[in-house]
Amino acid sequence: MTVQYRLKSFFRKPHNIILFVLVLILSYLTLVPLLTMIIDTVTVHTAEARRLKLPVGTVTLSHWAKVLFDPASVSIFYKPLLNSLITSLGACAIALGFGGTFAWLVTRTNMKYKSLLSSLCIFPYIMPSWTLALAWYNIFKNSVVGGTPGIFTALTGIQAPNWFAYGPFPIALVTGLHYAPFAYIMIGGILRNMDANLEEAAMMLNTPRSRIITKITIPIVIPAVLSTFLLVFSSAMSSFAVPTFLGLPVRYQVLTTQLYRTMNGLNPGQGYSIAMIMILLGVSILAMNQKIIGLRKNYTTVTGKSSNIALVNLKKARTPVSIIVAVFLFSVSLLPLISFALESIILRPGDYSPSNITLQFWIGSAADNTMANSEPGLLLNPTLYRSLWNSIKLSLACSLCAGTVGFLAGYAIVRGRGKKLSDFVNNLAFFPYLMPSMAFSAIYLSMFSIQRGPIPALYGTFAILVLAGTVKYLPFASRSGINAMFQLSKEIEEAGVIMGIGWWKRMTRLVIPIQKSSFISGYLLPFTSCMRELSLFILLVTPANRVLTTLLFYYNEKGWNQYSNGINLLIVLIVILFNFFVNKVSGASIDKGIGG
Amino acid sequence: MPEIVLKNVTKKFGSFVAVDHLNMTISDGDFITLLGPSGCGKTTTLRMIAGLETPTEGEILIDGTVVFSSDKQIDISPSKRNIGFLFQNYALWPHMTVWKNISFGLENLKWSKEQIKERVEELLDMLKIREFAARYPAELSGGQQQRVAIARTLATNPQILLMDEPLSNLDAKLRMEMRTELKRLHKETKATFVYVTHDQLEAMTLATKICLLDKGLLQQYQSPLTIYGKPANLFVADFVGSPTMNFIRCEAKSVDKHTLKLSNQVLCLHFSASSDLTGVTGGPVTLGIRPESVTLSEDGKLKTVVYSSLPSGMETILRLQIGDLLLNSVVFGSLDFPVGSELNISFSGQSVVLFDQEGTFVTTGSLALA
Ligand SMILES: Nc1ncnc2c1ncn2[C@@H]1O[C@H](COP(=O)(O)OP(=O)(O)O)[C@@H](O)[C@H]1O
Ligand SMILES: [Mg+2]
Repeated sequence: MTVQYRLKSFFRKPHNIILFVLVLILSYLTLVPLLTMIIDTVTVHTAEARRLKLPVGTVTLSHWAKVLFDPASVSIFYKPLLNSLITSLGACAIALGFGGTFAWLVTRTNMKYKSLLSSLCIFPYIMPSWTLALAWYNIFKNSVVGGTPGIFTALTGIQAPNWFAYGPFPIALVTGLHYAPFAYIMIGGILRNMDANLEEAAMMLNTPRSRIITKITIPIVIPAVLSTFLLVFSSAMSSFAVPTFLGLPVRYQVLTTQLYRTMNGLNPGQGYSIAMIMILLGVSILAMNQKIIGLRKNYTTVTGKSSNIALVNLKKARTPVSIIVAVFLFSVSLLPLISFALESIILRPGDYSPSNITLQFWIGSAADNTMANSEPGLLLNPTLYRSLWNSIKLSLACSLCAGTVGFLAGYAIVRGRGKKLSDFVNNLAFFPYLMPSMAFSAIYLSMFSIQRGPIPALYGTFAILVLAGTVKYLPFASRSGINAMFQLSKEIEEAGVIMGIGWWKRMTRLVIPIQKSSFISGYLLPFTSCMRELSLFILLVTPANRVLTTLLFYYNEKGWNQYSNGINLLIVLIVILFNFFVNKVSGASIDKGIGG
Repeated sequence: MPEIVLKNVTKKFGSFVAVDHLNMTISDGDFITLLGPSGCGKTTTLRMIAGLETPTEGEILIDGTVVFSSDKQIDISPSKRNIGFLFQNYALWPHMTVWKNISFGLENLKWSKEQIKERVEELLDMLKIREFAARYPAELSGGQQQRVAIARTLATNPQILLMDEPLSNLDAKLRMEMRTELKRLHKETKATFVYVTHDQLEAMTLATKICLLDKGLLQQYQSPLTIYGKPANLFVADFVGSPTMNFIRCEAKSVDKHTLKLSNQVLCLHFSASSDLTGVTGGPVTLGIRPESVTLSEDGKLKTVVYSSLPSGMETILRLQIGDLLLNSVVFGSLDFPVGSELNISFSGQSVVLFDQEGTFVTTGSLALA
């Protein structure tokens, strides 16, 4: 067989063309940045030249030495690493505890209001990760570290102690609560699909309920639990906003905040080294997860058709349990919003009396707001509208690009599965997930600040935001693309092939309509993530294309508390409304199929 | 004339050989079954004929046209091969009604509205599914879905119909009904049918010719009765027929041109071949005796003990013990025998099969006790 013929028959298959194009593009957009980053860990940057007394661009191992083997390493790297590990482990425990319990209550007991509670439970996950952090801060901040006390003190007169208001405890708790819905989705999915016969068989033998849970249910969900654990762990490790709000007041540094400090300050080389270590951590966590998923295949019986297992009768506890869960979920979902609304309408921070309430930060003119540098009220504020418009534009653009590329990637990866090329593209498309956002954007900044081949200099443009967002969220989109394609037997498409229906028509008339809701979630996830993204854009935006989240940070840095809380409220509302809207239109939703 | 010719067709998945140098000619109007245990390469073979899978080597001709050739570097796309493909899981499009499922392919061929309407109605009648035209596949039973899938496949009038275990998801009664239906369709459409199944009974009852595969290798390609009566080797003999054929290992000694003396610990027999015994003069051989050739007879000289008895009304399946040998036997009629009772048997008929040391077919013949 000639090479020519092989190429021809290779490229006759549409999925091979897609794979080939993706390899080229994604290598450039993910592998080149990775290489650049590796090189950056061993070269001298402008900011470091004077201190190191070496010319810019010299190869040096001093960054690595400083991060790993210096007396200062403890504060530069080891202490933040330890803090990251502590808060992430804590977050995992909380996410699994709450999420797992809730999953069990929903799938295995006769708790009331299941479907309502199930939808409510997803809230913290839809909201930006820092929502709960900021709410916590609003409520429990104390005057010990300076500034005005929060709502809790105003109501009770008690100052929350430092360990409770700031640092590892609230960071772990808040991050854990944010990811608890994720644990619920993963574990609930397994519990729901698990062959109930396994449990029923034990029930026939008069095994007590508690033994069934410890000896049968838990071992079966263990792989899902481990998998959730690892994913929550790695997400918590790379969270930036939460430790910024809750850690910095007491100088509690974790890896990401340390990354921001070094990268933005005088030691970018050290920052890149820390980023490399984070990537390595991420890769190994992912490898472990892959192994566990591989195990799970021949471990649990996921039959897909769940027979109706007899639900645990909570008896007298039924109403109290339902109410406690409802109150808890309402407070986790709604209290933050209330606190934002409240903070945005009080004149003098810390004073929650009715006389101190004003709407001037929403509808006041510039003249009313002289204390905030004559910034007009939010609803009259052109900067806000520009940022809002930018945010929506950016999120739409990223979601369109990431969603479409993700769909194509999912299609091509599944059709070409088993081949090296397909595995390679799969890994390429997932890799951005492992890159800490901050480091990722720093690399893009340096890569695209000058013209490269056909790509013009992009610094300060909207395009670089779209590019970074698209690549960063591609993993979500390609995951849902892959899932959607796996659920669709290839014969469905082949039936069309045999009838001579062309590729385009097969996609638009068969594949996409059938898996509509899965594909839409491939667009939904990037949109929501982009809407609330901060660390990825914080280095890339310029005042001209500022988005809501960076405006939030800008106001926060300025100390204009009412404005930042108001914007926060807006962001959360937009995200929730958007999810609700898409859910109504398409039936796609994150918690689909678990709720009662 | 849609004749299908496979020449040295091989398919490898990595280093695993799924189909190994397959040679086969399927004549126009045949009803061929591809038979073999699960994983033997049936689906792969069918998909290669359809063009859904690219062979690693070899050549495939349909209707005299080369549709695939690794040497001549030809690979014609499935839609140009004039075939229909019936998938094991039906692969109906769940978001389209029955009507739309059938008409979609025709619309794609740019048929006129009237022509499409006429053709769809014809098929709805032919498969007796007119009343379901407006339903979605999820609202149909398995058997009805199957009919829709057949209608969709037949819509474009393919001259070759490839079917991958189309009845495996149906219950036993529906399966019987659909078999009859398929035979009728074969007559009506005058198309060439290639039918994959792992069910030997289905293969026997439907096919004009059976292609028996094992581990990607062709074992035998002949009519059902030849396969049953003259199995090419022990694998074929064992795979076809239920209850399975009895195999008895013996030492052979040549008596004359047509006769062998066969013996083991339990038995001592004379085998009279129906043709010359050129190859075999002695040494270890295997006898294959179909259960229906093991007959009960009052004056039979072979004493056996009933090991198990499975009456089904029309016939009774017996397991009979002689020493450490167990024999299957089928007795017709409504009979039952107590376990442990003694029965006398003899070997009847001319269809006892002799296999050589390697397990290859030598000849058929009759048996008598020595
Ligand atoms: N796409 C594939 N990749 C790797 N191995 C395959 C693939 N398709 C089939 N096989 C293997 O080839 C062998 C034959 O498969 P198949 O033709 O489906 O068997 P069957 O006779 O049951 O239809 C099996 O062992 C199967 O595992
Ligand atoms: Mg098969």
